[in-house]
Formats: sequence, C-alpha cells, structure tokens
Amino acid sequence: MGRTLKFNIFRFNAEDPASVPHMDGFRLEETEAMTLFIALNRLREQQDPTLMFDFMCRAGICGSCAMMINGRPDLACHTKTKDLPAEITLLPMPVFKLIGDLSVDTGTWFRSMNEKVRSWIHTDNRFEPGEEEERMDNALAENIYELDRCIECGCCVAACGKAAMMPDKFMGATAFCRITRFMVDPRDERKSDEYFEVVGNEEGIFGCLGLLGCEDTCPKNLPLQDQLAMLRRKMGFSQIRHLFSGK
Amino acid sequence: MLADETIPQIRPVRAEAWLEFVQVLTGVALVAFMWMHMLLVASINVDLGGGRVLNLIARFFEASDMTQIGGPLIAAVMLVHFVVAARKLPLRVREQRAIWSHSLSFHHTDTWLWVVQAGTAFIILILGSIHMWTVLTTLPITAAKSAGRIQGRWWLGFYLVLLPMVELHVGIGVYRAGVKWGLIKRASRKASARFETKLALAMIAIGLVSLFTFLVLTKA
Repeated sequence: MGRTLKFNIFRFNAEDPASVPHMDGFRLEETEAMTLFIALNRLREQQDPTLMFDFMCRAGICGSCAMMINGRPDLACHTKTKDLPAEITLLPMPVFKLIGDLSVDTGTWFRSMNEKVRSWIHTDNRFEPGEEEERMDNALAENIYELDRCIECGCCVAACGKAAMMPDKFMGATAFCRITRFMVDPRDERKSDEYFEVVGNEEGIFGCLGLLGCEDTCPKNLPLQDQLAMLRRKMGFSQIRHLFSGK
Repeated sequence: MLADETIPQIRPVRAEAWLEFVQVLTGVALVAFMWMHMLLVASINVDLGGGRVLNLIARFFEASDMTQIGGPLIAAVMLVHFVVAARKLPLRVREQRAIWSHSLSFHHTDTWLWVVQAGTAFIILILGSIHMWTVLTTLPITAAKSAGRIQGRWWLGFYLVLLPMVELHVGIGVYRAGVKWGLIKRASRKASARFETKLALAMIAIGLVSLFTFLVLTKA
C-alpha cells in the first residue's frame, strides 16, 4: 500500500451545452482492499462532487458500474486497485449512449436487444396456474441457469472488435448467449429457422469474427466462446439442410 | 444496434450461412495445401540441396497433370477464399480506424491476431499471386530453376516476406476456425493456441532452412 494513484478520467456532461469532452486528472492515496468503486466514491466525496458514474449493488451483480479500465471493460466494484498500475485511465463504455463522464445507458440497448431476440419462452401451451410445474432434469436446469447468469453489464459488447466497427448494428455476444439460453430450453418451441430469422445475418452470428474479447472480459465468466460456436453451427447447418430439402 | 431503436429488424440472409461454410472450407483446403507444399519444398533438404527428391516429386505431379490442373485450381480457391473472407474485413476508413484504436487500447492477444490475419491476407494475395504466376508459367518445376530464382537478388527478399506472412495467416486461421466452429473449446483453447504457435514457428523454421539450402547448396 501507500501508493498514490493517478486517475485520468473522461469528463463530459451531455446535458450541459457548454461541456466539452476532455480528460481530468485526480490523485488519491491507495488504501487496503480498495476497489475502483471505493476510489471513485472517494474522488466524488472529497475532490469533485460532479463526477458521474453508476453503481448499485457493489458486489458484481447488477452490472451498473462497467467501464473501460485502462482500455479493458470491467466492473469497477470488483476491480481491486492493487491489481492495476498506479496510473489508471477510466473511460465510459463505447457503443452505449453516454449520459455523462463514466455513466452510460445500457438499459435502453439491452431492452432493445431483448425485444429483438424475443427473449421469452415461446410456447403454445396454456399456462395453468393451478397445475404442478413440469419437472426438468437437474443438469438441464443448471445449463439454462448458467446462461441466464448474464447481468447485462455490456462488457462483452464494449470488448468486441466487430461492435467497434459496427456499433449501430452488431448484436453482440450477450444477444447470442441469450438466444442459446432459449435454444437449450425444451419449453421454448421455436424451430431453428425461427432463430435464424433473428441472428442469421452479418449483424448476427455470421458477423462474429471470433476475436473472443467477450469471452476474455465477461465478469461473470459466462461460457461465451462455446455458446457462440454452438449457435454458429446450428444456424449454419440449419440452412445447409435447406439446400438438400430444396425448400 | 441503435440505442434508441426499439426493435431493429434486419432480415436474415440465408447466403450468409453458405458463405460462412465456403470461407472455412476453402480456408481448410488452402491450409492443407500449404502444409503439403511446405513438405514438398522441404524435400530439397533430404539430399542436402542435390534436388533429386524434389525433381522426382515435381515430375510425378506434372506427369499426372496434377500441377497443370491443381495449380490454377489452388489459385481459384485462394481467390474465392479472399473474396468471401473479405466480407469481414474493414474496408472503409471509419472501420479501419475503429478496429485499430480498439486494438491499441484493448491490449487483447486474439484481437491483435485477427488484425495480423487481416493484414497478411492482402500481402499473401499479391505476393502469392506473383509466386504462382511465376512458377506456373515456367513449368516444369525443377530444383535448379527454384535455386536460380532464390539466388537472384530480389526473390530471396520476396520469399523472406511471403514465408512468415503465409505461416502466420495459416496458423491464426486454423486457430480461429477451430474457435469459431467449436472444435477448440474453452477448456482446450490455451493448449490449442500454444500448439498453433509452435506449429507456425516450426513451419517458418523449415521454410527458412529450405531457403538457405536453395540459396547456398543447390546448383542453379
């Protein structure tokens, strides 16, 4: 301990017409077990009350505090300053709409994404509130839960080279993971062609370059690499099948 | 996706699925060819530059018309692979700037590997085409003719550039194809990357030794 941390933080207030995007420098004494979340709160309390950043749970669950930390997207609340060099550059995440300083609007983007992939169980079965719930194999339930752990922080999108090139169109790993979650769920009655309707293009799975920025930065360690490969295979072969069936 | 857009509807394109297969299959075919090609070229080392083994293999391929048919076929496959894979390349200046600044700030190996793969693609297209044209328009292939070319001033530099470009592109390409299609899983990714690195380095080493043999030991 005992280091003096130097912060370079992006500043811009989207609501102030006079505001100009720039970087501000701050210095802060490092303390034991300090996270970036603690450091940012200290900076706001002690040095600049106008500093904008998001947080909610402080435990890596809500995904609000995602930001670019020395060029890599991660959650401020679970990033320890001792794992970083003494000079720390913080930028807001790209792709998402900037609210101010380090705060971005991931909510609108994720709502749009969830609507696009039709992120709900598609079934013709009528829901009977009085009936006992249909049983599911434990391993399958765990598999679905594993893919459901996405906290919608947006790190995978910010880490994606394809999204950097196509920020207004590319769907991103979070959307692909969302789709595979429903693909493995036997309650969802959608066929491969219906999933293809959603991701079968350059903006979807066939635009993915396989750079694995998503896999390497997901703070929840979701199995994105394997899910994206599975989606690519399923979507690819579903269309090859049409070649032979003539439809 | 635009942040304010509620449901951006972009129609699916069935051809994208086929093109994805064409890209990976032509890539795999070219990788198989390049590895075979390297082994055949390296045969010059078997008799320490004497060229008897290489000449024998070259004669066999020409006598069976495999060179005359296979050569232009490989050129066509390379062109198809480039055109199909170029769909993914950042051809607009805005995209090039975006991926370059993303790569610089992100410090992520796999992202840099893709930049290398994309860059080497253009160099291979140009240099590979020149190499194929030169070889296929001056048949038959003989050790003496190859040595004469390499002992000429410019061709040695030409092959010293082309060799690492091809092996980098091939090594990264095999790794990326494996990752994209699921042959390389999360659990085996690190080991696969290490294997690919060693394989690429081994191929470059074999190529350099063969170039040295053509340059110094083989009679032009």
